[in-house]
Amino acid sequence: MTILHLLIPITLLMGAIGLGAFFWSLRSSQYDDLAGDAERILHDDGDTPLPPKKETAR
Amino acid sequence: MMNRLTTGERQAAMVLSGMVALAGFAMAIVGRGDPMGVHGWITLIFAGVLFFLVGNVLYGPEPTEDRSASYYDDPTKVGILLALFWAVVGMGMGVWVAAQLAWPELRFDAAWSSFGRIRPVHTSGVIFGFGGNALIATSFHIMQRTSRARLAGNISPWFVLLGFNLFCIIAASGYLMGVTQSKEYAEPEWYADIWLVIVWVVYFVLYIRTLARRNEPHIYVANWYYLAFILVVAVLHIVNNLAVPASFGAAKSYSAFSGVQDAMTQWWYGHNAVAFFLTAGFLGMLYYFLPKRAERPIYSYRLSILSFWGIVFFYIWAGSHHLHYTAIPQWVQTLGMTFSVMLLVPSWASAGNALMTLNGAWHKVRDDATLRFMMVAAVFYGLSTFEGSFMAIRPVNSLSHYTDWTVGHVHAGAMGWVALITFGSIYAVVPVLWRKETMYSWKLVEWHFWLALAGTVIYVFAMWNSGITQGLMWRTYTESGSLAYSFTDTLVAMHPYYIARMIGGALFFAGAVIGAFNVVMTIRSAGHQAPQLDYPTGSEANEPAVPAAE
Amino acid sequence: MRANLTLRRIVVTPVPNSPGLMGIFAELERIGHPATPIDAADLSVEAGDRTGQALLRAVAVAGFGAMNVMLMSVAVWSGATGTTRETFHLISALIAVPIVAYAGRFFFVSAWTALRRGGVNMDVPIALAIALATGLSLYETVRGGEQVFFDAAVTLTFFLLIGRWLDHRMRDRARSAMTGLARLAVREAVEITPSGGQRTIAVDAVVPGMVLRIAAGERIPVDARIVSGATDLDRALVTGESSPVSVRTGCEIEAGALNLTGPIDAVVLRPVSESFLAQMMGMLATAEEGRGRYVRIADRAARLYAPLIHLLALATFIGWMAVTGDWQQAAFIAISVLIVTCPCALALAVPVAHVVAAGRLMTEGILMKDGSALERLANIDLVAWDKTGTLTTGEPAIRVLPKLDAASQVAVASLAARSAHPAARAIASRLAVPGTAPVDVAERPGFGVEGVIDGRRARLGRESWVGEIAADVMTGDGPAFAFEGGEMLRFPLDEKLRDGAVDSVSDLALMNLPGEILSGDAAPAVAQVQGLLGLRGAQSAMSPADKIAWLDDLRAQGIRVLMVGDGLNDTAALATAHVSMSPASASEAGRAAADLVFLRDDLRAVPQAVGVARRTGHIVRQNFGLAILYNCIAVPLAVAGLVTPLIAAIAMSASSIAVVANSLRLNRRAVANAVPDAMFREVPA
Repeated sequence: MTILHLLIPITLLMGAIGLGAFFWSLRSSQYDDLAGDAERILHDDGDTPLPPKKETAR
Repeated sequence: MMNRLTTGERQAAMVLSGMVALAGFAMAIVGRGDPMGVHGWITLIFAGVLFFLVGNVLYGPEPTEDRSASYYDDPTKVGILLALFWAVVGMGMGVWVAAQLAWPELRFDAAWSSFGRIRPVHTSGVIFGFGGNALIATSFHIMQRTSRARLAGNISPWFVLLGFNLFCIIAASGYLMGVTQSKEYAEPEWYADIWLVIVWVVYFVLYIRTLARRNEPHIYVANWYYLAFILVVAVLHIVNNLAVPASFGAAKSYSAFSGVQDAMTQWWYGHNAVAFFLTAGFLGMLYYFLPKRAERPIYSYRLSILSFWGIVFFYIWAGSHHLHYTAIPQWVQTLGMTFSVMLLVPSWASAGNALMTLNGAWHKVRDDATLRFMMVAAVFYGLSTFEGSFMAIRPVNSLSHYTDWTVGHVHAGAMGWVALITFGSIYAVVPVLWRKETMYSWKLVEWHFWLALAGTVIYVFAMWNSGITQGLMWRTYTESGSLAYSFTDTLVAMHPYYIARMIGGALFFAGAVIGAFNVVMTIRSAGHQAPQLDYPTGSEANEPAVPAAE
Repeated sequence: MRANLTLRRIVVTPVPNSPGLMGIFAELERIGHPATPIDAADLSVEAGDRTGQALLRAVAVAGFGAMNVMLMSVAVWSGATGTTRETFHLISALIAVPIVAYAGRFFFVSAWTALRRGGVNMDVPIALAIALATGLSLYETVRGGEQVFFDAAVTLTFFLLIGRWLDHRMRDRARSAMTGLARLAVREAVEITPSGGQRTIAVDAVVPGMVLRIAAGERIPVDARIVSGATDLDRALVTGESSPVSVRTGCEIEAGALNLTGPIDAVVLRPVSESFLAQMMGMLATAEEGRGRYVRIADRAARLYAPLIHLLALATFIGWMAVTGDWQQAAFIAISVLIVTCPCALALAVPVAHVVAAGRLMTEGILMKDGSALERLANIDLVAWDKTGTLTTGEPAIRVLPKLDAASQVAVASLAARSAHPAARAIASRLAVPGTAPVDVAERPGFGVEGVIDGRRARLGRESWVGEIAADVMTGDGPAFAFEGGEMLRFPLDEKLRDGAVDSVSDLALMNLPGEILSGDAAPAVAQVQGLLGLRGAQSAMSPADKIAWLDDLRAQGIRVLMVGDGLNDTAALATAHVSMSPASASEAGRAAADLVFLRDDLRAVPQAVGVARRTGHIVRQNFGLAILYNCIAVPLAVAGLVTPLIAAIAMSASSIAVVANSLRLNRRAVANAVPDAMFREVPA
């Protein structure tokens, strides 16, 4: 099954990207308030964007 | 719509469509006499029309609104409408092709209308046309609302949406002309595949840029599902479609892989197309629109994150369960089987999460057909994933492979899960987008729901029966050790089920038509109100959300 | 402003022109979300939680590794042979080795530290299992062998890291109530020099005999005796009662009390290091030190487990060597024994249950500060209640309004509105009557409020002082009121029981937990509350040291006490008791000292918490049972040489999942089961 020589590295690469994404999400405090994150979508506040912040939104 | 673009943007749009038109023209010349040439003309016309549409208003008034103070919903709106268009076309083709199984004379003796050609029009039409547009449109909506920021571009969303639809048109027209790579769900030829990669890269970049400029620090879980869908589908698409064109002027190419290697690649792609296109993306839809419509937060946000990672890692290797009892090595088949069974855990976690979210809101499910669409979709998701894991087990597969049971499974998932969650989401989002209080007619939503449910149930039951019948008949031996039934015998036995299948599909199609009508009437109905959560009549629900169990 | 619903916390970033902190709290209360300021100690602990983040990263890496190595392993177990198998083993090695090194380092480091000191801890067999499994697998890979344990090594690391991370989240936070108490200390004092001038000196420089001036609104810096002036003090530190106590010349006052109404001069009795506040802090330090001695169940289990496992693995190795003489096979089997006895289930048994319980408690509005609190809460024998502020709301209410004519009503209401004294507030809230504003209103600290209403002089306050202008004296309790020359009226006050106090006490009684009051207040008031609640006993007039002595006494008898208190003066007691709870309205020091804090005003949080704790204890014991059961099955199989890597992987996963699933049962109506149904309780007459 020589095709696995291609498929396995590709999958490992995608997995590594996924792992990297997880690390990023940890660092950027994405899991600090799971209860609030679930509730937040229920509040529309007028269906308009928020004003942009000066620094990066963290 | 055009007057919401600045002059600079309109110019950019003209340049882009001009370039595409030129490319189409080049294709038309280089590929003359070949279906590729026809595609060139189609591209030229498509882009040309856009060119002139924009050109007509090029020097029209500039937009006056403050862009940072509003979301960009025009592409979303058009995307929803396109999704409904493709639903009608794709499902209509499905009814026709199903009818051909029962009554082959419905081919009308033409090449373009033969079963082999209109079948992929159906599959691509519903998966890419209906599903793809729905995903693109809802992703535009969800990423903006959850990021509390406007789309990071005013032309790129159009490029993505319209470019994707160009791909769908090329695909469908190509099939009718006999253009196909013969790879399930990857039939379009090399130039269409390249075009899709370009569109997809722009889609991914747009998504990342919008998230990067978010004003809400947290990235809602639905976005993760959409991003996984976009990224993985891109990789799968590229790898599976690696091919050498026979010539640059012909719609014909040779796959980079052959035999057993190609089979594995195809089903590594094929099953992951189901996993990431038809599951991950629509789970994103589910995780946003279901809680929003039920006005309750997801039962367990943590679980949605865990099942995200579970699905992402377990699905990738399930593909070889499509290849049981073929020439690929036994252990590869077992590998696929093992991962397919393990996959049940994160899948049911998602389905369970969705249903538990509705705990305490069952009266809303009873009263609100839109919410009911989503709930039933979650139930079918659970059913189909169980059925799939079950069918992936080799002995079970020995009965089901090549039979109608596989078709039944696909449609339980496609009609019961994918289509129902899409329609539910469309009915939830249309009033918000067009600033109406409700859909034009909640009764029509109810009609749609019951037609869709009835159609799905009839279809699936018919296919369970026919599939198992086929499987059993194919493996029945006489005492002397020869097969008891000829293939034609089994075909004859299938006839009533083919009719039932067509009826089920027709009901579903009718529901889709009603839905399209309802949406159009909603858009045209009078009155622009401030967007409110629209309640169907008789269901006032202002309870506070119950704290989720974390 | 950003709200974190998981931690029940709000971060407010003030913009120009925004109201101050009190204004914000008022607004939050108005919209139905009363708030208290967060403890700075909690914040600083969380910000520095690098270990937690590092553990979580290691979990993610181990998970990634486990899934990818599993892919290879399943392929091999499904029948891949020859070069395919060797290739997969090689790829597995390439993935597993760096991941085991990175993610497993927590165990390796901890085991090495223990070994260097000559002892063993739980991590020694774990590190051994992981290292040996990886090493053996590498050897087999190079040799071209059939079976490798990379899968087991990485999966083991993954599950154990999850347990480790959960445990870390539940571990004792290095918190101390000291900070809260330290806030009461004053750094500077104003000395009245013999010549009559004033100078500011550091509090350490204050010596007995000096005369200090303490203004209204300041805290008393050292223990002293008043030489001139009269005022009201907030002596919550000593008595736990925040209702003002009037003091005058000759009274002794203690460091840390708050001077409420008027300036006083006082002569210093003791230096600050011997002050009452310093004694409190000393008591607290002793109590907090003693607390660290509680050894958790998991650690006790580990002490048994580690040596047992080593012995078993060694015995297996020797046994197989003796039987076959094949050291490879013997090593293989011995390592499989190490792996399969998988401390996964053991490592997960406690933390998973605790995490689920903590989440469950959070939904009931109960914050658990310390994982061992659950264990301690489950085995208490007695509940000790503070009175004011815990069993009662700390705000008195009028028991019976005397009959008032219109003029009196206006007068009382106007006078009461002028004072911040809780008794006056209680009266004012009952009699909100608009009327003419009296002229010449004066508040006499320690006595009451006096004013002229419609030309008539009137006084509201202490009986003896009001009696000076009244026509007669009416005996009774509570503040008195009279117009000049008029009849005296009394306003008897009652303490209001906190929400759920009655239910809470009776629920606990049904759980076989009697209760006693531990209060610094006088006997009659304490007895009244004891009677209302039907408590078994009551101790009154207890100083903080008295409370600690009482608790220590019970501890010596082997009785484990849950202390529920709020006041400053309870701080050391909260730290001394076997386990403690305080309401969120408690002082900062009280909240820091308590093991659990309940956010809602309802006292039923106490039986709720006890119920959850007991149920958690059951679940933990069940988890241990599951782990033991699993080991009873798996170990004989391993010793017999029957455990292949596939079986090891399945066994590990199954046992871990079983433990987690069992722990999740805590989420389902657990608390309702712990407290018997209301219908079996008699309705009080």
